[in-house]
Amino acid sequence: MMSEYKRLHPISAIVNFMKQVKEMIIPIVVLLFVNGSGSGGGFWRYMPVISMVTVLVLVLGAGIIKWMRFTYRLEDGELRIEHGLFVKKKRYIPYDRIQSLNFSEGILHRPFGLVKVKVETAGSSSDKKSEAELTAILKEEAIQIEKTIFKEKERLSESPEAVVEEKPDRQEEIFKMSGKDLLMLGLTSGGVWVILSGVGAFLSQFDDFIPFEEIYEGASGYIRGGVLIIGILAFVGLFIAWLLSLVWTFVVYGDFRIRLTDENIIINRGLLEKKQVTVPFKRVQGIRIIENPVRQLLGYCSVQIENAGGSALEKDSSSIKLFPIVRKREVENLLAEIFPDYSVETEFNRLPVRSIRKYMIRAAAVGVIPTVVVSIFLWPYGMWGLILVALLAFLGYRQHRSGGWKLSESQLSLQYRTFSKSTVFLKKNRIQSLDRQETWFQSRMDLSTLRTTVKSGDAGYKSTLRDLEQKDMKQIEMWYSYEE
Amino acid sequence: MKDGPRNRISPKALSVWRIYGGIETLIALVVAGGVITLTVLFDWPVWISVVAGVAAVILAYIQIKLVPDVRWKRWRYEVREQEIELQRGIFIIKRTLVPMVRVQHVDTVQGPILKKYGLSTITISTAATVHEIPALDTEEADGLRDSISQLARVAEDDV
Repeated sequence: MMSEYKRLHPISAIVNFMKQVKEMIIPIVVLLFVNGSGSGGGFWRYMPVISMVTVLVLVLGAGIIKWMRFTYRLEDGELRIEHGLFVKKKRYIPYDRIQSLNFSEGILHRPFGLVKVKVETAGSSSDKKSEAELTAILKEEAIQIEKTIFKEKERLSESPEAVVEEKPDRQEEIFKMSGKDLLMLGLTSGGVWVILSGVGAFLSQFDDFIPFEEIYEGASGYIRGGVLIIGILAFVGLFIAWLLSLVWTFVVYGDFRIRLTDENIIINRGLLEKKQVTVPFKRVQGIRIIENPVRQLLGYCSVQIENAGGSALEKDSSSIKLFPIVRKREVENLLAEIFPDYSVETEFNRLPVRSIRKYMIRAAAVGVIPTVVVSIFLWPYGMWGLILVALLAFLGYRQHRSGGWKLSESQLSLQYRTFSKSTVFLKKNRIQSLDRQETWFQSRMDLSTLRTTVKSGDAGYKSTLRDLEQKDMKQIEMWYSYEE
Repeated sequence: MKDGPRNRISPKALSVWRIYGGIETLIALVVAGGVITLTVLFDWPVWISVVAGVAAVILAYIQIKLVPDVRWKRWRYEVREQEIELQRGIFIIKRTLVPMVRVQHVDTVQGPILKKYGLSTITISTAATVHEIPALDTEEADGLRDSISQLARVAEDDV
């Protein structure tokens, strides 16, 4: 058992520094650009540069001090972290509150054999304080800490007379993403648009420096069809953005592997920054299969698990991508293997025919008001909005077709669509509360809306199925009720 | 489970909601008054003041009379051994089931107005949701809080 005070690896000072700089990137860029157009002489000319350097030095200094004041140790069944210069902060986390340790390796970590450790706790809203992060420690040491904590945890939880035997951990590798999968993931994700808007924002910064107009004018002198040039440029831009998003997909999801141990699902991913996420089985609150229209067409989907823990530090730890992309027909077998206690339903009870109209009207209504408004002001061109209305009505129709439910003894399975189609599997004892809603229109038609909430991170994850038969709703309520 | 929750909330809730509605209406009245003043000052058409006045009166009726009445009539709750059932809603009727094993903690809250009427609000929190029974007699609320937290202690499930 270690109990001596330990420091993080010095590299963490640099990591802190980089993190700070990343947060300040916008002010820095602004400062730089403001400077670019200024034409004052002498001292003032260097003012922005001097202030920038000063700020950077201060931030670096702060990073170093932070590192110097930060200690951690394992003592008395607790992970104890102390930090702070003027105000000394101590955070003690008992082992049995620790749910998992998540390791990740950044580019700076790798050459030194370091990892960043995030400590995840049960994360009920009042205990947000008991979260911690060790920015950079040696990998062997991290593993050592993990072993110590979990061995100790086991010893605490087991009855004293039970012999603690070293059983070999089950370590099956169950899923791996191939290059083809990655390609598919990149091609069908929305990443292109994110990168495009990023490029757009970036280029607009350079407007002052690159004389776009002169280039255009010069060029149009040579080629009459300026439109053609812009068209080609746009196409090339789009293509590059698309390539970048592909590369990005490979960087983030490259080398994606899932391993199973007796109690945990361990997900590894990332080419540059290697991430490892550990999800204890008992914290899985629900499983969700998501098919966006493009993927649905190609027979692919992605699978998420709703996770109870979740921490404020790790943004995506509440909904974890179990399979970022996978063939729809493989899902059933894969899920059955990982979660034998869940039944992966494929047959659902569908919604009553008479609710089609409600679905279509509800979806189309979103487009009607803007269309009417635009049509009043821009007659008759605003009428093109009717196409939007028709498309939305079609979406409504698809939403109705996708809606479905299924009960088994301990599980409620729902299918519904907003834009992407979701199929969720929920265990009765994981559903935090169950709502039934009826508007006046619904009551008149004997329809109800079902809503379930499961825990996911700090907040809940809600699933909504609209316009099912009232008698079906009653059946689901009966199933959920614990009363006789 | 079959017939929906049985208990009503305290009739005194009506008075409290009327006061809340009154406060909200007051704001609307101030706005309407402002509009009417402007109309007089700047010689705007008379119909503007009429509309503002009528709107304020309708709003007052809705917020002070209609909404509290309907809300009170709709509010039902029942605490059973295994679950809590709530039913409420003005335009949309909502019914919620919260199993006792999912309840994490129960609070009673009492603001100045509620206190004057001897009422308390109970909030029931699960790991992911918060539910509220808005106005119960303070004694009843305290009793309910204690019994729920007793019943909720049954199972220490994961989350």
